[in-house]
Amino acid sequence: MKRILIVEDEEALGLLYKEELAGEGYDVVTVRDAEQALEILRRESFDLIVTDIRMPGRDGIELITQIMGLRKEVPIIINTAYQSYRDDFMTWAADAYVIKSSSLDELKARIRDLLSR
Amino acid sequence: MTSPSELRKDPVSGRWVIIASERSKRPDDFRPAKTAERPRGPSTFCPFCAGNEAKTPPEIFSLSGPPAGPGAPPSWRVRVVPNKFPAVSRGEAPVRVRRGLFESMPGIGVHEVVIESPDHDREMADLPVDHIRDILATYQARLRSIGAEPQYAYIQLFKNKGMEAGASLSHPHTQIVAVPIIPKRVKEEIYSSERFHRRTGDCLFCQSLAEELKAGERIVLKNAHFAAVEPFASRFPFETRIFPLRHAPFFGSAGPEEIAALAETLSKVLAKLKSLLADPAYNLVLHQSPNSVCGRRLWPELERISHWYMEIIPVLTHVAGFEWGTGFYINPVAPESAAKFLRD
Repeated sequence: MKRILIVEDEEALGLLYKEELAGEGYDVVTVRDAEQALEILRRESFDLIVTDIRMPGRDGIELITQIMGLRKEVPIIINTAYQSYRDDFMTWAADAYVIKSSSLDELKARIRDLLSR
Repeated sequence: MTSPSELRKDPVSGRWVIIASERSKRPDDFRPAKTAERPRGPSTFCPFCAGNEAKTPPEIFSLSGPPAGPGAPPSWRVRVVPNKFPAVSRGEAPVRVRRGLFESMPGIGVHEVVIESPDHDREMADLPVDHIRDILATYQARLRSIGAEPQYAYIQLFKNKGMEAGASLSHPHTQIVAVPIIPKRVKEEIYSSERFHRRTGDCLFCQSLAEELKAGERIVLKNAHFAAVEPFASRFPFETRIFPLRHAPFFGSAGPEEIAALAETLSKVLAKLKSLLADPAYNLVLHQSPNSVCGRRLWPELERISHWYMEIIPVLTHVAGFEWGTGFYINPVAPESAAKFLRD
């Protein structure tokens, strides 16, 4: 079973992603900030990471640059409500940029696509 | 592919704006987004550095570096890649939609990034002249290629160096954005030049350059093909324009000798700005003619009245309320003094 780490500061959204993606047959772990994400990434391995950008503490862009030093091979999806971070070339460390929406279809499609590579 | 953005025209100013809409969540989220330049520490990552080519989209164009050894990563001097997460996407000529006074169209366009060197820490001012020449030749290749697609009415090439100039990454790079309309500022320049041409039969840029050369006091340097000038009505301290002496509407038409001379001029100007102004952030902007097919519809004499040039604006002052409200700029350094300082 493929393992996905979700980094999302809004608890309700984290739960929604966990339920929806578990329903697709993934083993999903959710954490609420970058520190927790880095801590778990030092101990456990994942097949894919989905991260929000705007979070308390370190933001998602700082997180993905840290992940490049830890687990460069793991694909990353940025999942944000903001278009404006497209201007930040550090987002290129990620493999996909998804705008949050009430439908999770695009997020699910990107996950399927990246995990099938 | 659906465009993630829309172009909208302000009915009063006539200015077009790219709207990249966001789904807001809470009032707190209207704080400015963090897009500050991120310095590269030992543990941080740069998608533009050699060895990280897999993190960029496939390259559109590159100039090879010295041959790499067996098993070594690809060797390149300059690379061009499309923006991985662009705000505009390629498409056919868009259809304008009007609702009363309000006009909009899908945000089609091109957004490419020129990675100027594999080396993260060598700014353009630090590169050898022959490497700058390669960067300029790369600009030309991409501008010619995008310029062959008439749905892109204007191509803007620009470089943001330093956080204060809008760079999000310190690895030296240039951006190329093509849009399906001719921007208001570009139109203003050409209308002004057209009025002058109608009155005198001359190119406004050629004539003003001739007068600058005659006066001499605002010239920073000159060679066989280019002159670097602090403009008579500079808006900003040390605003510098590099003009080709030969009249030409498009940067892509500069020949190899001119490109070599431009590389030398740019190298000298950037080195002077860096050493004398303590390595300022700056914006480098190319001004050139709109696409001929679109432009000739508005200006039948387009090739006679457009004249390409490069503009370098060091970020030494802030644009504030008075400038936003009036369009007047208050420049605390006379261009004559700036030119003398850079010359000496």
